[in-house]
Amino acid sequence: MCRHVAPVGHVTHNESFTPHGIALVASMQRRGKIAWNASTLDVLYAEPDGGNCRAHCVTDQPLPAAIAAIRAEVAAEGFAPPAITQVHDRIVRDHSAFGNYQPTMLKGEYGLFVGDAGFNLSQSTMEAAAGLLGACGVDAVPVGCGLDSGFIPCSLGYPDTARKQAQLCIDEMQKVGVKKLFVLSPQDLFSFRQMYEERLGISWPKEIVLIDLVDFLSEQVQKGRLRIRPLSAAAQNDTAYVDPTHAVRLPARFDSARRLCEAILEKSPIELFWHRERAHPVGSTAIQFTRPDIGTQLTEARLEDARSRGAKILLCDDPATLHELDLRNQHSLQIQDLYETLLGQLEV
Amino acid sequence: MDWTGLQPEMIRSELAEIVGESNVSTDEADRLVYSTDWFWLPQMWLDRGETPRKPDYIVRPGNAEEISEILKIANSYRIPVIPWGGGSGSQGGALPVFGGIILDTKRMNRVIEIDEKSLTVTAEAGINGKQLEWAVNEKGLMLPHYPASANCATLGGYLAPRGTGTISNKYGKAEDLVLRMQVVLPDGHILRTPIVPQHAAGPDFYRLFLGSEGTFGVITEATMQLDYLPSCRLLRAVLFDDLTKALEAGRQIMTRRLDPFVIRLYDPRSTASRVKKILGYELEGAYMVIGFDGDQEIAALQEQKAMEIIHSFGARDLGRELGEAWWNQRYDFYYPPQSLKLPWMYGTTETVTTYDKIEKLYFAEKKAVEEGFKEWDIDFIGHFSHWFHWGVMVYTRFIIQNPPEDAREAVKLHNQVWNTAMTAVLENGGMVNEHHGVGLKLSRFMRRQYGDAWPLLEKIKKTLDPNGIMNPGKVGFGY
Repeated sequence: MCRHVAPVGHVTHNESFTPHGIALVASMQRRGKIAWNASTLDVLYAEPDGGNCRAHCVTDQPLPAAIAAIRAEVAAEGFAPPAITQVHDRIVRDHSAFGNYQPTMLKGEYGLFVGDAGFNLSQSTMEAAAGLLGACGVDAVPVGCGLDSGFIPCSLGYPDTARKQAQLCIDEMQKVGVKKLFVLSPQDLFSFRQMYEERLGISWPKEIVLIDLVDFLSEQVQKGRLRIRPLSAAAQNDTAYVDPTHAVRLPARFDSARRLCEAILEKSPIELFWHRERAHPVGSTAIQFTRPDIGTQLTEARLEDARSRGAKILLCDDPATLHELDLRNQHSLQIQDLYETLLGQLEV
Repeated sequence: MDWTGLQPEMIRSELAEIVGESNVSTDEADRLVYSTDWFWLPQMWLDRGETPRKPDYIVRPGNAEEISEILKIANSYRIPVIPWGGGSGSQGGALPVFGGIILDTKRMNRVIEIDEKSLTVTAEAGINGKQLEWAVNEKGLMLPHYPASANCATLGGYLAPRGTGTISNKYGKAEDLVLRMQVVLPDGHILRTPIVPQHAAGPDFYRLFLGSEGTFGVITEATMQLDYLPSCRLLRAVLFDDLTKALEAGRQIMTRRLDPFVIRLYDPRSTASRVKKILGYELEGAYMVIGFDGDQEIAALQEQKAMEIIHSFGARDLGRELGEAWWNQRYDFYYPPQSLKLPWMYGTTETVTTYDKIEKLYFAEKKAVEEGFKEWDIDFIGHFSHWFHWGVMVYTRFIIQNPPEDAREAVKLHNQVWNTAMTAVLENGGMVNEHHGVGLKLSRFMRRQYGDAWPLLEKIKKTLDPNGIMNPGKVGFGY
């Protein structure tokens, strides 16, 4: 009954790709009425694990976690499609789905968790984030550079690999001596705050405080510690904000991100139809690997959403979401990194 | 009929020419998922490990013209066509009883126009109810049809079975909110009903499609009446000693046109079980929630007048908190873990009749079901939730916590309970249904429901759909 927020159901218009459809196929497989084959696996891997269905679930049913658990059974039985085993093999080898992992040798009390996408897909986001932290007087050591936090393998059905990735994350932060960790990507923050405990049985180290970078910077702007110059009048009227993938799992950041936008726009950004608690995922999920065709449809739907609302500029703060929007941009929209824009408008 | 081999592939290919390859499916998983809606019988059938009747094709048209072409193909091959919206129906109205083509309308999901002067919205019928509501909310408006299924159901699904939402007392049923529709007839002809429903330019034929559940055609677009989002909602709960007094109080409030947007009256059994379980209130008697909305001063005055009536029956005012708690949790009654669930057997035998008959009908049905199925320890509960100037709907439910494990025995018992309940309803002047529709579940009662008028409905069906392709087995029509 959560079709109103089922993103894949929306873009495919297919009942099978809704929480109800996926659950029904999985339960019939359990009852021995159908087997895992191309058709049924298509359904099982058509879920992005973006958190929308759970965020809207009246009774908080952990369907995304249940789907990940079923995928784990499928992978253990050797039924996972080649596209998925290939990503998994890459993560086992490189600890990264997109490129390389570069552990830091630095020490510091403050860390900035850059993650896989932040390091390998959008380094400028990482640099801008570090610059903004610096402007607030925080000298944060970049950690987890190119390191998958465990989300992708966990979502694809490889919990053991995910646990190893999680341990790598924790080990690196403990080596650096991080006490306060700013997290760049909502995907990684979700992993640390919720997924580790719920799906992997790993407790986040109590001595490391997790901070959503958007929340922190918003607070700094509010307190006047970060002074931002507004953009031109034209840009102020044409700019929309895209809630990044997994933001629905971190609702506190909805207002924080908008406060940052208001600092450069002097007004609220244009809201997409699919915003805040109903924001659809774009990039930063496993669907780019499991069903790239659907991943593309999700991104194109979001770009069309922006265009239909009259936006010319799209702001976002998540490296993977920005990368995906940029990749599929067919509407001459300007995709802008919120952190880079803020840094560019910083009053020195 | 053997549906393997060349002929099915030929038909699939013809359908794909109309809607594109990606919008036709014969996939095993898709055929399974579209084999059931929210009717208890197919859900139970699947749950017990039985194989349901599956559709042969799932087709996702993008507009009325494509539906028209699909229906022409279906007519030439005599293939059943089952319109599908959100699949949230509880009556089996979307089941592919004879296989055929599931026509999933969800690609047709555009809001075409919001008219802020006339307060109307025109949208394609496949739009999700909640999404449509979000779209009009952005303009400070609402589509005042709030069914528990809104998160799942489509606009077409609101209209096809003549649905009713939580705030129907004041704003009407879905059928009262529609001004105009576009419909594709079974032969592929596309028509639009007149621009407004209230006029004196001939008969009101558009109503034929409301309640026809896809047996007379496919609703593809509708213009719906909107309202301003209310500036206030005043809710209050009261407790009556008994149901008789509560029903009379409700009748007086409605017939004096005090215009509550909701009156939800739980019978003592529901008050003691469902209200206690979901809202956590231990109350003895008949719990009623009453609400007024719109302009603050007018709503307050209406509430004051209603409370005078309520107090005259000796009811206890439980205050706003207990009323608002119900409003905030009203859908929890229908969702897990509070909703009824398999392997239990359950059904909503809701009905509607005039005020002079409703109490007698309710107790007659209750007695027939409770006494008829005592050995199954059947539970019979109800609430009165959609009130009209002339009568009220009673949402009665039966629950058997330990039904037969054997699927066929379960079907037998299920149908026996329904036969008993519907016989009591019909013998006491009720309609077999008020807002869930007929579907497959109540199809067998339609001839009895309509009596002398049934042959006319059959003639209309035969005229519109001579090959009987449209949603066969539903609303009393065969294949």
